[in-house]
Amino acid sequence: MSMIKKIFVVIEREYLVRLRSKVFIISTLLAPVLMVLILVLPSVINALSGDKAQYFVVHDETGLIDTLLMSQDSVFYQRSETGLDELRSQLNLREIQGYIHIPASVLDSNVSVTFFHDGSAGITAGSRIRSDIRQSIRDIKLDQLETPREVREVLEERISVDNVIVSETGEEAADSGLSAILGFIMGFIIYGAMLGYGTLILKSVLEEKSSRIVEVVVSSVRSFELLLGKLFGIALLGLTQFVIWSVSGAAILFFAAPLIALFSGSAEGSAEMAEAQAISIPVIGIDVWIGFTGFFLLGFLIYSSLFAAVGAAVEQESDGQQLQLPIVMLIIVPLLFLFAVADHPTSTMAVITSMIPFFAPILMPARMAVISVPFWQLALTFLLMLLTFLFLIWVSARIYRVGILMYGKEASFKELWKWIWQD
Amino acid sequence: MNNSVVSFENVSKRFGKQYAVDGVSFEVQEGRIFGLLGPNGAGKTTSIRMLTNILVPDEGVVRLGGEVVSPETQRHIGYLPEERGLYKKMKVKEQLIYFSRLKGLSRSDSAKSISYWLDRFGAKEWAEKEVSELSKGMQQKIQFIATIAHDPMCLIFDEPFSGLDPINSELLKDIILELRSTGKTIFFATHRMEQVEQLCDDIALFNHGKLVLSGEVSKVKAAFGKNTLKIRFKGSPDFLNQLEHVRIASKSQHSAEIVLKDGADDQKILRHALDSVHVHSFELIEPSVQEIFIDTISKS
Repeated sequence: MSMIKKIFVVIEREYLVRLRSKVFIISTLLAPVLMVLILVLPSVINALSGDKAQYFVVHDETGLIDTLLMSQDSVFYQRSETGLDELRSQLNLREIQGYIHIPASVLDSNVSVTFFHDGSAGITAGSRIRSDIRQSIRDIKLDQLETPREVREVLEERISVDNVIVSETGEEAADSGLSAILGFIMGFIIYGAMLGYGTLILKSVLEEKSSRIVEVVVSSVRSFELLLGKLFGIALLGLTQFVIWSVSGAAILFFAAPLIALFSGSAEGSAEMAEAQAISIPVIGIDVWIGFTGFFLLGFLIYSSLFAAVGAAVEQESDGQQLQLPIVMLIIVPLLFLFAVADHPTSTMAVITSMIPFFAPILMPARMAVISVPFWQLALTFLLMLLTFLFLIWVSARIYRVGILMYGKEASFKELWKWIWQD
Repeated sequence: MNNSVVSFENVSKRFGKQYAVDGVSFEVQEGRIFGLLGPNGAGKTTSIRMLTNILVPDEGVVRLGGEVVSPETQRHIGYLPEERGLYKKMKVKEQLIYFSRLKGLSRSDSAKSISYWLDRFGAKEWAEKEVSELSKGMQQKIQFIATIAHDPMCLIFDEPFSGLDPINSELLKDIILELRSTGKTIFFATHRMEQVEQLCDDIALFNHGKLVLSGEVSKVKAAFGKNTLKIRFKGSPDFLNQLEHVRIASKSQHSAEIVLKDGADDQKILRHALDSVHVHSFELIEPSVQEIFIDTISKS
């Protein structure tokens, strides 16, 4: 039987056995569910917490501001003539949630207004009160100065600054500022995937070695065929998970607005979300997705070759820590650059670090999410990664071939070096 | 010797500076059970690994069915290693089909052969169970089926009986003999010499990487000569301790096996025995494989 056929038999087993495992099924299904929850939960919580009408007592010594506040929301703001001491004791006894003390001099000088509450007001209420009071005081002062309507309009103006990215081919795309965050998230997902799937490879090699299955398998196939079958089988598994997540992710984003509306019961919320979608959906273009997947796959192959070698060199997972350390470091280093690269994707530092084969799987997709990376950089990086992979799989296969049959021997770096050169 | 299925021609394998196998040559004929004997670390496993193409010899040639061992010859071999294992989380049948497909069988041929062998071992109802649900003995049978299901011309069994109860041992022995009768060539590695006596046609004895003895069991025994006395008697066995130039291989209250060394005189021993006890029988016999093993290893 040809080598390719045998590799496919191995790929099939590695893939199917893991595809059916509970861990895979649960983690694959859980991610989209989490995504729905993250999108829907805030509005659900909002809807739930909004059921108890919140109100605050306004103690206004100017006698002007409270009227304006009441005219905005006569439920949220309750005017009160009660003395400050009395209000304080009511608050202490928790008869009221809080009160706002507006001193008489607030219109003449820059004294502050104070909002006393029991701690349950939350950030939303606090910032709403702040902006309402500022607005009211400004309106009163403008009235007092008999400011003309034109001046008021100037003050109300909100000039928007549009942020447009122009590509080399002249196309325009709105930059929402989200793309840097997206790049950051992408880098992180690839980091997690490479670490997770790399560990899976290590465990898989170790399972066969410690259970001695490997001796039977290598009496049927070459160790190199087994190693390749393992890497590609698990890469296929990773790809499957990515596709499922991408499709369900896209579906969730597509249905997000009606979904949120359904849960929050507010049409306003859905409109807001729909607006947010309009910004974020086009960012994950198909080209970015392909780049993302491609860099993940190559990165996975590079790191998995290393993890496989470690798995073959040790007998128990705990023994692998020392040998794993340099690999894990290599994966972590690009994380240190990730934010800077996503923030300044065209800087020399970003260009160079994103093209180093060990860092590229994390940093290049991050750049791709933010800008359109020049083609030569992508092509060169792909080539460099491919060469790195071919070199590492050669080294790894040589360690693997010796290591899987080696028991009771401490696998130091020196020992591994000998294995590589052993005939 | 043109019909030899396996041949080792001056084969050596080094690990570092140490020779694991050192200039070994032997041939195995079709339809024979060939015993691989030797102390731990003598080079048996390394030899097996070169035959299965897991390792490549540094010098010499290993042939299977006339061809130099390569990935192509792997499909003609079934190997049951001493240390064994199966995928815990895979179902029995699925797992057997996997191993058989790795040897090059199609999925349907694998399934046919496997259901035949599961039936032979009375294991049909385990087909859809996960290996982790099976007892040690059951797993042993499954592993045995994994070794033979692809119908290889050469089989290698390393301690195949370990962990089996007497009934299953008997079943396995019958199947091994049946496989021989269908023309399979079988390598049998074990430390249990009574099994070698029962099963092997030929033996090869390894020590420190070298082949120190090999050939047909009967010829090896004949070459050793009738150097063992088997005596049955009534009376105190204390007289055995006074004998010179011998080694007492085994003794009980009424019998003993005495290995004659250089300078021993069987007639003198007989006279001494007649003076000491009532002798029922006194016979000069061929040595057991166990004796040959101990004698050869202690000399080499």
